[in-house]
Order: sequence, then C-alpha cells, then structure tokens
Amino acid sequence: MNARPQRNVVVNALAQIGEAGLFLLTLLAAVPRSLRYLRETVRQLWFVGAMSLTIITVCGLFVGMVLGLQLYYVLSIFGGTAASGTVVAIAIYRELGPVVTALLFAGRAGTSVTAEIGLMRATDQLAAMEMMAVDPIAYVAVPRYLAGLVAMPLLCAVFCALGIFGGHLVGVTWLGIDNGTFWSNMTATVDVWKDVVNGILVKSLVFGAVVSLIAVYQGYTTPPTSEGVAYATTRTVVASSIAILALDFVLTAFLM
Amino acid sequence: MSQRQSYAVGTGLFIVLGFAALAYLATQTTSVVNSRQGDSYTVHARFTNVGQLKERAPVKVAGVRIGQVRSIALDPKHEAADVTLSIDKRYPHIPADSVATIFTSGLLGDQYVGIEYGSAKKDLADGGTLALTRSSQPLEQMLGRFFGAGGASDRVGGTYTVKARFSNVGALSVGAPVKMAGVPIGSVAAVHADPVKLDAEVELAIDDRYDQIPDDSAAAVFTSGLIGSQYVAIQPGGSPEMLKDGDELVLTQSAMQLEDLIGKFLVNGSPGEKKDAAPADTPAGKH
Repeated sequence: MNARPQRNVVVNALAQIGEAGLFLLTLLAAVPRSLRYLRETVRQLWFVGAMSLTIITVCGLFVGMVLGLQLYYVLSIFGGTAASGTVVAIAIYRELGPVVTALLFAGRAGTSVTAEIGLMRATDQLAAMEMMAVDPIAYVAVPRYLAGLVAMPLLCAVFCALGIFGGHLVGVTWLGIDNGTFWSNMTATVDVWKDVVNGILVKSLVFGAVVSLIAVYQGYTTPPTSEGVAYATTRTVVASSIAILALDFVLTAFLM
Repeated sequence: MSQRQSYAVGTGLFIVLGFAALAYLATQTTSVVNSRQGDSYTVHARFTNVGQLKERAPVKVAGVRIGQVRSIALDPKHEAADVTLSIDKRYPHIPADSVATIFTSGLLGDQYVGIEYGSAKKDLADGGTLALTRSSQPLEQMLGRFFGAGGASDRVGGTYTVKARFSNVGALSVGAPVKMAGVPIGSVAAVHADPVKLDAEVELAIDDRYDQIPDDSAAAVFTSGLIGSQYVAIQPGGSPEMLKDGDELVLTQSAMQLEDLIGKFLVNGSPGEKKDAAPADTPAGKH
C-alpha cells in the first residue's frame, strides 16, 4: 500500500480513490470489533469535536456578521433590507454552514488525525499493537472515523446557530433592521426539510464521512518517514478541500 | 480517572450543545410551525386563474393564517383551476357564501388565498365548495383593462401542436410554459419570425389531456409577476368546436411592453383617447 510508483496523475488519483474505498470497507467491517473500545471513541469525539468548538464558534460568528453587513449594503440598493434575515439563514444553512465547517474541520481535526496516525505508523506503534493482538484498525482508525462522522453535523449546527446570531447582531443590533421583520421573514421562508435537514444534516454528514475517511486513510497509509507524515498531512487538507467543494456541487444538484 | 471524567463531561457537553443548536435552528428559524398541520377539513375553490399560487401557500381570513393550499389541479370541464384548501378544525364557522380571493403579499411577494366572510347562516362543510371566487389578476390584464386594451382574443387550433401569431412576443422563449387558468398545460415548442407576414409565429405543444379547448380560445403573452419570465396564457372561448393538432389560434394578444403602455398613457392623457394615437407607434398593442 505504501509503494507509490510514479504514474499518470489521473491514474494515481483513481488508484487513491479506489484504495480509500477499500479502506472504508475495512473500517466498516471493523466497526463491530471496535465497539469494545467505545471509551476511545468518546475520547476522540472530545478531541475532534469539543476541542474544535472554539474555531467553529468564532468563524461562524464572523461569517454571519460579514453576511449581515454585505447583505445590508446590497439589499439597501433595492430597499429590501427586510429580506436580509431570510438570505442570511438560507445562505448559511444551504452552503456556508456545511462547507465552511467541513473545511475548518479538515484543517483543525483532519490534519491532527493524519499526523497522529502517521506518527504511530512511523514509530511502529501500529506494528506493536498487532504484536499484542490489538487490532489497530479497530482501536485506532475506527474510533477516529466514527468520532469525525458524529462531530461534523453537531459542529455544523453550532456554526449555523452562531452564523444566524452574527447576522442578527450586525443587521438588527447595529444597522437597525427591524427585529420582528428579520425573524418573521426568516421563519416564513426557511423550510425545515429543504434547508435545515438537507443542509445541516445530509450535507455535513456526507462531508464528515469523506473528510474523516481521507484523514484516517492518509494517516494509515503514510510512508513511515518524517517527510511522509508531512506529505500525508498536506494531502489530507488538499484532498479534503477538493472533495468537499466537488461533493457540495453534486449534493446541491441532487438535493435542490 | 479524573482526566477521563473531564473529557467525558466535555464530550457530553459538546453533544448536548450540538443537538440544542440543531433543535433551535429547526424550530425557531423555520416555517415548521406553519407547515405543521393539525386536524383540518377540506374545502374546494374554483378559480379561473391561480397565477403563481403554490401548494402549501397560506389560506388567510382577515390576514390570519387558518390553513393552507393542499393541491392545485386543472378542471378541464370547467376551464378552471380546482384548488383544494385544508383549513384548521379550529376555524369551523366559515359562512357558505364566503368569497375566496387570490392575493399577493406586497408587490413581489408570494400569493395566498384570502377568504372574506359572507353573511349566510350556514357554515361551509367538509368537502364543500366556495362558489364565489376572485382570481389572480395578471399585471397585463390589469394594465390592459386600465388602458382599454383588455378583452383581446384569438382563435385557437389543436391538440398536439397549435400555432399562434403574435405581432410581438416580447422575451418569450422556447420552453416557456403554456397556461390555462394559471395551470401549466404545455410549453412553447418554437418561436420564429414569419418572413412574409412579418410577425412572430409561435408553436405551442399542448398536453393531450387538455383536448377540450374551444377553437376560438385566445392566446396571450403574459409575464409572471412584475419581473418574472414570460408565458403564453390560453383564454378559453365558447365555441363547441375543439382545437386539433395543427390548428392556429387566431385571436392573440401580444406581449405588452410597460414602456409602450406608460408612453400611451403619458401621450394621450386619458385611456379613452388612446385609440386615435396608439396604432402608429405601438406594434405591441392589441390587434
């Protein structure tokens, strides 16, 4: 798995996707075996989820605030500032929430997972586990994967809530859009299924599954050198970002 | 042990926070309250034109929401749109002679059904029909009536493909809907200029289900809302003969251009004088 002969870029990418797919099957097959390491999963959830809250809340707040500001400026040209609550909510639920959360998640949690597993590989900890009859897939890979899967929708919900709050802060508190108009226009237009469930739950679950898979896979298949770990960490961010944005388009086309 | 406790508590807090945020967003910022429908009863209303009314649009009395539009279908026998309203059981006393009207919230807002109470002692029953309705008014019709240009009509022709000639199709494009009573029944198959007659020939592909369209029906190019896309509206006539494939709609009303209408109004001073001056400079006017 580690040997990567120089091949055509396209063939290489396809091979990576195929290997990652097979790795996903291995992970899923190991889920029942990893149930006895539930405590490890909770610890990983704390690490990738709870510890990411700071960056998610701060970024969500600022994204909402800048949306509120930009929309006020543009909508005031048409005299339509009352619609800014609607637009903030829909933009955040449908696109910004899931996509920005996933990008931040890849940068904050994905990289550290890759680096951690990669270093375990480089320092032969994974081999040592196998020696002790501990399945490294079930003990190391699956808990991190499941934690990412669970953490993404929750982080996305927090991001969206803070984003709406930021939009409200700028639009209503600073720029003087009427509070009632802001909320009533939003509640009248936003649809639970099409906006909230499709955006926060479906999109972020898919993004969480893909980002976690890339992070765990890249770490697990790192060449066991310091250069290899650095390279794998970089690739996690690059591959995750491309996958998130490409999948976002596909998902949006299907969920519309 | 204490370290394990701290991350367990932190993780628990994180999960609770995430679900709380999700629940808050789903209930407080969406129309979940509006789309939830308690016990309701069904009432029908027949409109000659539903305009842009959509399913799940609100039904209001005195501006207060009492239900929603459940379905909109074309009733081919009556050349009208049959709108099914589901009304909350909490509002059982709607007089049977109430009037249902399609209103628009603001200038560009969504459309809704407003019910104005009548004076009958009898209440509307489940499955009953509101006999008195007022349809959505396309802007062109209102402007046209105002400028004395309303009532233009055309002749029709066809079950599969029908042709219609317009002196001006405006921004009508291939694929635009063909509507009757506001309900789509087909689409525009082709738009091309006639090199001899120097007008626009439009081919309309109409659904086979709607083969009961009188051949003296009129076709008009309307605009959805103030800034919407254009569509062809069929206004049924009274002829016993029905349209067949290849027929031509003789009575047509071209796309009205706001500039022309306003120009006419400004030049002529009053709508009544319009007929003298208008034809020369308004190719978009009625036939």
